[in-house]
Amino acid sequence: MSYLLDRLTFFRRPHEPFSEGHGEKIVEDRRWEEAYRNRWRHDKIARSTHGVNCTGSCSWRIHVKDGVVVFETQAVDYPRNGPELPDHEPRGCQRGASFSWYLYSPHRIKYPMIRRRLLELYRAERAAGKDPVEAWTGIQSDPEKRRYYTAVRGLGGFVRTTWEESTEIIAAANVYTIKKYGPDRIAGFSPIPAMSMVSFSSGSRYLSLIGATMLSFYDWYCDLPPSSPQTWGEQTDVPESAAWYQASYIIVAGTDLPTTRSPDCHFYSEARYRGTKVVAVAPDYSALTKFADLWMPVRAGTDAALFMAMTHVVLKEFFIDRRESYFIDYAKHYTDLPMQVLLREDADGNWVADRFLRASDLPQQAGQSENAEWKTVVYDTHTESFRCPNGSIGFRWEDHSAANAKSRWNLKMEDAVTGEKIDPSLTALDETDETSPVMFPHFATGEAKTVIRKVPSRLVDLEGGGQARVCTVFDLLVSHYGVDRGLNDEGTAKSFDDTDTPYTPAWQEAITGIKPADVIRTAREFADNAAKTKGRSMIIMGAGTNHWYHDDMGYRAVISLVELCGCVGQVGGGWAHYVGQERLRPLAGFVPIMAALDWSRPPRQMNGTSFWYLHTDQWRYERMQVDPLLSPTARGNYRGHSFADYNVAAARMGWLPTAPHFNRNPLELADQARKEGAKTEGEVAQWLAGALEKGDVRLAFEDIDDPVNWPRNLFVWRGNLIGTSAKGHEYFLKHLLGAQNAVLSEGTEGAVGREIKWHEQAPVGKLDLMVDCNFRLNSTGATADIVLPAATWYEKDDLNTTDMHTFIHPLTAAIDPAWDSRSDWQAYRTIARQFSKLAAKHLGKRTDLVAAPLMHDTPSELGQALGVKDWGHGEVRCMPGKNAPQVKLVERDYALIDEKFETIGPLLEKLGNGFEGINWDTRAEVAWLATHNGTRTTAAGERPLIDRDEKVCDAILALAPETNGEVAMKAWQIEEHHTGLSLTHLVEGRRDEHMTLHDLKAQPRRCLTAPNASGIIDPKGEVTYNFAMTNVHERIPFRTLTGRAQFYQDHEWMLDFGEGLVLFRPPLTMDALLEHKRAGELTLRFLTPHGKWGIHSTYQDNLRMLNLSRGGPHAWISEVDAEAAGIRDNDWMEIINVNGATVVRAVVSQKIPRGVCLMYHAQEKTVNVPGSPTTHRRGGILNSVTRVVVKPTHMIGGYAQQSWGLNYYGPVGSQRDTMVRVRRLSDQNVDWLEGPLTEAIEREPSALGRFRRETADNLGEKS
Amino acid sequence: MNSTWNLIFFGVYPYLAGTVFLVGSILRYEFDQAGWSTYSTQLLASRRYMMWASNLWHIGILLVFLGHFAGMLTPVFEWMHVPVVMHQWIAFTAGTTFGVIAMIGGLMLLLRRYVNPAVRAAGRFSDLFILVWLLVTLGLGLGTQAITLPDLLHGNVANMDIFRAYLEGLATFRPHPELLMKIPIVFKVHMLFGMTVFLLFPFTRLVHIWTVPLNYLVRRYEVVRARRTA
Repeated sequence: MSYLLDRLTFFRRPHEPFSEGHGEKIVEDRRWEEAYRNRWRHDKIARSTHGVNCTGSCSWRIHVKDGVVVFETQAVDYPRNGPELPDHEPRGCQRGASFSWYLYSPHRIKYPMIRRRLLELYRAERAAGKDPVEAWTGIQSDPEKRRYYTAVRGLGGFVRTTWEESTEIIAAANVYTIKKYGPDRIAGFSPIPAMSMVSFSSGSRYLSLIGATMLSFYDWYCDLPPSSPQTWGEQTDVPESAAWYQASYIIVAGTDLPTTRSPDCHFYSEARYRGTKVVAVAPDYSALTKFADLWMPVRAGTDAALFMAMTHVVLKEFFIDRRESYFIDYAKHYTDLPMQVLLREDADGNWVADRFLRASDLPQQAGQSENAEWKTVVYDTHTESFRCPNGSIGFRWEDHSAANAKSRWNLKMEDAVTGEKIDPSLTALDETDETSPVMFPHFATGEAKTVIRKVPSRLVDLEGGGQARVCTVFDLLVSHYGVDRGLNDEGTAKSFDDTDTPYTPAWQEAITGIKPADVIRTAREFADNAAKTKGRSMIIMGAGTNHWYHDDMGYRAVISLVELCGCVGQVGGGWAHYVGQERLRPLAGFVPIMAALDWSRPPRQMNGTSFWYLHTDQWRYERMQVDPLLSPTARGNYRGHSFADYNVAAARMGWLPTAPHFNRNPLELADQARKEGAKTEGEVAQWLAGALEKGDVRLAFEDIDDPVNWPRNLFVWRGNLIGTSAKGHEYFLKHLLGAQNAVLSEGTEGAVGREIKWHEQAPVGKLDLMVDCNFRLNSTGATADIVLPAATWYEKDDLNTTDMHTFIHPLTAAIDPAWDSRSDWQAYRTIARQFSKLAAKHLGKRTDLVAAPLMHDTPSELGQALGVKDWGHGEVRCMPGKNAPQVKLVERDYALIDEKFETIGPLLEKLGNGFEGINWDTRAEVAWLATHNGTRTTAAGERPLIDRDEKVCDAILALAPETNGEVAMKAWQIEEHHTGLSLTHLVEGRRDEHMTLHDLKAQPRRCLTAPNASGIIDPKGEVTYNFAMTNVHERIPFRTLTGRAQFYQDHEWMLDFGEGLVLFRPPLTMDALLEHKRAGELTLRFLTPHGKWGIHSTYQDNLRMLNLSRGGPHAWISEVDAEAAGIRDNDWMEIINVNGATVVRAVVSQKIPRGVCLMYHAQEKTVNVPGSPTTHRRGGILNSVTRVVVKPTHMIGGYAQQSWGLNYYGPVGSQRDTMVRVRRLSDQNVDWLEGPLTEAIEREPSALGRFRRETADNLGEKS
Repeated sequence: MNSTWNLIFFGVYPYLAGTVFLVGSILRYEFDQAGWSTYSTQLLASRRYMMWASNLWHIGILLVFLGHFAGMLTPVFEWMHVPVVMHQWIAFTAGTTFGVIAMIGGLMLLLRRYVNPAVRAAGRFSDLFILVWLLVTLGLGLGTQAITLPDLLHGNVANMDIFRAYLEGLATFRPHPELLMKIPIVFKVHMLFGMTVFLLFPFTRLVHIWTVPLNYLVRRYEVVRARRTA
């Protein structure tokens, strides 16, 4: 009825007064309420999540109305935890809740887009009658045509095209590149597979099939803690968030749980209700600090000094003054502390700690015939002799193929020959008074470069006669920490108050600013709690500690503390590394599909940091020198080498991978080897070794700027490489893309390189083609040549896991992909189809020579055992697979890429499936998939289909032990054979479980325990998941040299850099500031923690988060600094150094300490970013002022745990050591750079020329 | 002005405006329930400033309107035996006072609409337009006082009689537009602007006048709504 008439009821309107007339019940029209009800009405709910790099992995209900996603709410149907534990849900945060905005936002990429100039060129070539590959050749062979479209990258100019046309161009570019330069000149980048496994697999499967290179991201993001592989041989494995609740003492350092672990943070506050004490270590008054019992406002980048001082206290009070039996027992069984280390006398007569004593050093090799050089030794107090116990890496790669072979690769403390029980001696002091004066390196600023301390030692008889001095790692460690043990040693600390002796609590105060009393009390409480609870003390840490150049020092300092306190592998204890650590639980289901191992092995993979450092020419600007980082005790065979040189050497010795491999097309190399008589893989390897030694074939890295060695095609999907992850953003723009850039330096420093060739003229615009596939237009899309519209997380089927909980749950297509978008899987399927069409004519069937590094978890990790011999320096012959890359031949039928992409190939049945060195028969699962998914006819017969996203999900779930109980059973049986232990009980009760995507859509499921993770998943949810539980409770060795957690790193390069044992290394003060300090400028350390209003660059640009935050990029500075520079809150600021500039709004706050500029991570430059008045280029992102420096110790390879693996080990892209200048910009000085593209802008992409002219004008100097 | 135009403007137009006003308001109420609003920007502005601007405006304009209504359409002064000259003096004094108050408030509101970027961004075109329109009407009304005052000093209240007779005619559907033929032009323009306010009324935020929540003055303390609808 009428709204008006309904109101006109004065005479029949009932009045029902109540409460003596104070109240009244009325009857009136209530239709208006429907407006509010309709807001929340919907037709359908689908379960999905956000495939974003946050580790949240929160299940959400996606509400659809009239075919439009209208909102999302948190799903609250996770399986319960046990009655003693709070549940994980509800999970989600303000960021995820805002996602549906993106689907219909102006950021959404709706259609395939291409740079107009490129399209015009391409269509002109095609109109001239050329086929696609010829057309692409026509463009690439004309430098002016190439410049015409590459020089305007990032300046707009996109036009709409079709899938047909855009993928044809992409395929043509790939075919051309493979033919002319080789498949290793094509690269792909996509981060964090755990957030959407199928989408990650799409591009990497296509690239792996054509032989292109997949790049790593974890190390590049600097989220990989190299300390973890170094100590445990494990990439990273951490406790789930519920484990915080089971800890009774927590120290949190460098991670802000409420901000970055929002869905999990409730466990942190709930733990406090349970009585857990919490200590916060953070330079700023962060959200985390508010809940803490004690705040340690440590100076940024000095965490190592703080934790070493705590360890000093623990060593003194719990190991020396009283011998805490739990700690001692733990140390003997699970750490390398009882292992024997050789002492070496250097040229000056000082004793220096050298490598571990090996079975091969002992008479008759201690009875070990196989891999004796890879077996470490303890001193047994029962028999008073040196013995070789079970568990070291040598036992892992013994031949176990014989049915009755008895494996010794386990942590039973037994003599590996006789099986007798061993009691390893932790310290020689118990049996002898003999000590040696050992020299330790020391790096604290302004202190002596070496320290000499007495170390209890003994003599050992060597094979072939002679004796050597040895000591235990424990004895080295105690002396290294300066702990007095009554040896009358001048070098050790008199007391905790000794300010002059490193690493006492008093010594650290000058460095960290923390009161010694706090350090001593916290250390005592932490250790005391651990002793009483058997390890329930936990240290949570993250980017604030890890994103530094010397991140492994900070982390090893923490790890040493938790290892000494016996916390690792115990419920509610140990280390908890939370930054970018997303755990892909069904790994064995994912890897074969991701890397196309079902069709060809091995895939081409490359470590991201080296790739970007070299190809974006950041090495040419390298102002840091390596030699000052070396230890005074170093052998130093590479003295005088630059960082890039170290990388070349590491690649040459097969330690790090290469992309491209050589200065030749690998397809042609294979042809040539065959032509010259090499038939088998081994012969080809020998042929190549000869060619390398003669110099006929050279590593591409030796001449990285030669156009032959440039990367030519780059694919980016599911990520924002340029707008977030490009550390050294401006160098990417300049050298890789040839775009407008703000680099303010010539880059002449790299000329000092010895191994890497210098070109006077730096290359600009190396990429022929960059392709971005995303749902959101960000800086990566803006600088790409072709942009493909991807389905969002509410428009596709996929899988998602995290290590913050043990569940697996799906992404679901709540609606069909909107506009012209497609899921990543379908996008790459389209590209594969186009590629095959063109390749049939231009490529055909070829053999590809793949040079793989010495890989972790394969027998090749046993490279050079006793020292580094470099064939490049003529010290030894080149032996592929030993001291040089492994050589593998892969047959590629390029016409069949499309059918291979969408079916599961025969290699899984032929070679089995597995990970981390174990391999099982998986024929049953492939047969199941053929029935479940259906098949299609291929050149290899009828093969199971994975053409649709949901079928890929089911394939992953069927193949992985975490989601298929039968597979878990097989995996544990194999692991039992490898270790000689009984392990299948870990999954016995769940053998019948087999999850499919449909099951997960109904409810998230708890994964099964599998051998690729070291935690145990309790199906009842009572025991929380934690790292190293199978090591400590089931005695499976750590995958390290000693098989134990390693305090001591004995590789020659580790010792050269003084990092055999953990020590404090101050943050670098990178010499990257502009020469002339301008008036009103502050010099500040530039910190980039993760923020509250975005997950990296996602969300921070959406309307809701912009409204809640500052509406655009901003950076925080302290009140004191702000006043000095005349900056008021919300003023514009310019942040600048030689790497570039970024322009942001100022947030002035008491929470920031002086001397720090804190810019929350990855605020994009797509919204509200003006130009910089210094560079006259768009204000930039956080990484506009950063440049990476690589650390040589991360390049070590072929050495047990220090061997390369994708996202497992390798140099990290640290950026926290950056210094910047900050100044206020008046509003009049803000230039929004609005205006058309002019010839002048196009012809001068670099900011440097104008900057030089203006600086010269201002200072009255010649440039 | 010839008589045809006079008829159109003051014989026909008032009914046209009145019809649009009434029918338009009803239709808007029926079909634009969610848009029935003041479109207030009060949250975006300074509280102190708005306290003055809004109150001056609302008090002034309401009393001016009330004055027009009571003085011209009701016999209230006659009942009280107020002489016509005195009546005119009261009307003149009150009209000028509240007209000036409304003008100050209105100009403050207008200034805010121009100066405050948040208000400018949030405001719709019609908000600005109707405010300007009302201020012009008000200004014209104040302008008529320049003629009224000299007349009044001479005891001449003929114009008021004409208006009263004319309005009475309008209200009783016996319009006499010819009465206005000799009236000074400023009165006519003021009246045309004023009548146009009624014409514009349903298309602007002015509809909020219909639903001033006066019942809050008399309603009971606690009101609960029945689940069944009327």
